[in-house]
Amino acid sequence: MIDTHVIRTRDLAKSYGSATAVRDLNLSVGKNRVTAFLGQNGAGKSTTIKMLLGMVRPSGGEALLLGKNIADAKGNCEVRRRVAYVAENKPLYGYMTVEQTVSFASSFYPDWQTDLASHLLNQYKLPSQQKVNTLSKGMRTKLALLLALARRPELLILDEPSEGLDPVGIEQLLSMLVARAADGITIFFSSHQIAEVERIADHVCILDNGRLLVDASLDLLRQSYRRINLSFTSVISERQLRIAGVQKIRTDGRRMSIFASQNADAVIARARDLGVVSVDVARLGLREIFLETVLEN
Amino acid sequence: MGLFFKLNPTTGQPLYLQLMQQIRHATETGALRDGDQLPGIRTLAEELVVSPNTVVKAYCELQHQGLLDLRHGSGAFVCVRRRTRSLAADVQTARRRLRNLIDELREDGLRDEEIERAFEAELLHPAYPAEIARKR
Amino acid sequence: MLYYKAWLETRSRFLTCLTVLALFSAVFTHHAQGFLHPEWKTDFYRLLFIAHEYVIILWILSVVLLGMGGLVREHATGTSSLSLSLPVSRAHLLGVRIAVGIIEAIALGVLPWATIFLVSYTGGMPILFPQVAFYTALLVGGGMAYFALAILVSSLVEGEYTAPAVAIGLVFLATIAFDAWLRRFNLWRLITGSFSVDRTTYLLAGHFPWLAVLASLCAAALMLLASVRIIQRRDF
Repeated sequence: MIDTHVIRTRDLAKSYGSATAVRDLNLSVGKNRVTAFLGQNGAGKSTTIKMLLGMVRPSGGEALLLGKNIADAKGNCEVRRRVAYVAENKPLYGYMTVEQTVSFASSFYPDWQTDLASHLLNQYKLPSQQKVNTLSKGMRTKLALLLALARRPELLILDEPSEGLDPVGIEQLLSMLVARAADGITIFFSSHQIAEVERIADHVCILDNGRLLVDASLDLLRQSYRRINLSFTSVISERQLRIAGVQKIRTDGRRMSIFASQNADAVIARARDLGVVSVDVARLGLREIFLETVLEN
Repeated sequence: MGLFFKLNPTTGQPLYLQLMQQIRHATETGALRDGDQLPGIRTLAEELVVSPNTVVKAYCELQHQGLLDLRHGSGAFVCVRRRTRSLAADVQTARRRLRNLIDELREDGLRDEEIERAFEAELLHPAYPAEIARKR
Repeated sequence: MLYYKAWLETRSRFLTCLTVLALFSAVFTHHAQGFLHPEWKTDFYRLLFIAHEYVIILWILSVVLLGMGGLVREHATGTSSLSLSLPVSRAHLLGVRIAVGIIEAIALGVLPWATIFLVSYTGGMPILFPQVAFYTALLVGGGMAYFALAILVSSLVEGEYTAPAVAIGLVFLATIAFDAWLRRFNLWRLITGSFSVDRTTYLLAGHFPWLAVLASLCAAALMLLASVRIIQRRDF
């Protein structure tokens, strides 16, 4: 059976002493999709990515990256040739010039796209003879991203890619990502920037405290999550409305605000059975879905 | 191209549905005519800065509904057939009625968000869903 | 291009140490020649024996510096995520660094005595070539263990200044400890030529201590292997 997942983890876990960074992670990232990995700082996103790339040894569980077990060092090493990765801190060797950096990176990957690299160097206005440690932060970010974008890997993993970029840079980056996706490259990126995720992601995974809370297509989230505001004639106990799909209920006297991940119509039906006076249904943006999901956890 | 689609990612409505609506709207108003070619998936995705899958979903769904003809290798072509044309006319009428209703509700003092939420609530829990389906 | 990277990383250190060693050797020899009469060969060789000790000190400092850096240091500066995402094994990354370091260490070991030989030759007091070879072989063959120690320390200690301080401290401690309890196995005494020198002529005499140098190289190899293992097991 051909696996259509580029990343697949099973109960993947990582603990540092008594602190657990990642617990029982069962993550599947599908091919030819743009998947976003959302989570607060310290939720375990970077740790998960580092485990997949063989930089950190898992405390438990296992994972497959492009079909190869990450515990197999040799296999993982070969697979890295087909993966492009940019770490959160956009690492570059300060003592190399821009040109040396590009030469260095391109020597490792047969999928290097020379024309695209030249195009991006021009577009980002990167001076080729300048040493990296003399470049501005924005330039360094762009160069680090270029090393991954000027390739044609099977999988592109980015950890907070837009951090350090100005709005124009962010727009250029998102356009570039979308173009890469159109070329058939699977994209897996972690981000805080909900606005960006909402624009280009097909699929969203929300990680909090090392646990995967949400793993669904963004369209499905948009179609299922609702905020339902209800007004009753008398005070109703919350218990009566806690049916499948209801995540959070807030009560203020005879008014109730329900945050539901699915089954909004069943909730409304139940509310009508309880004699609701007014029903108010609102669709939810990703920001609110994320905040409510993470805050309740 | 002259077509300016604008997708709003924060409203909570799937982007592919928004794109479908806007393409359909363009065919109804005549901005897109029978035989016109829509931008390629990659081109449109880059222009709108959305995932190519969003464009693919919209195009495929519209093909399923008969509005687009996806010719392998050539692109997506608008296909305003007779049936669709009459449907477009129905939609025009419906929109006129809606416009009147919305004006009335606004005069009654309702805000636009309240009107939208009321619609949402009714659509989710219509009074007689089975009968409406049968009418179709 | 990993070799190029390793060269770029060590280039300044290497060239600085090379210059210092070359200058020291040239100046010392020239001064010694001017100081001595052409016939006082024994005194000249005694001075060269002393010069060798200084050369060793400078050389050990140099190779300790050359052995610094690597993935653990990169982790502290933030570039380890780039190096480790490359499609090369950690052993390979470290191996390249070791190879470049060894070549540089050999160059740093050959240069001083080549300079001494040249200066003495042009000054009219040529040293016997076998002596040059003996000293050089002792230094480079026996001294590789110091480089290996530096590599090992750089795989354990993250700080930019802490690592070389620890390495040099260990060199000191080892030298003193061995001299106190295991004088026959003191690497320092081996490579200065103390075990081979004839105290009347101050020439290095007798067989070349192959076994001892081999043992030192084995110790070096063990330390390098340990470094590889440590790097392979570490979380970055």
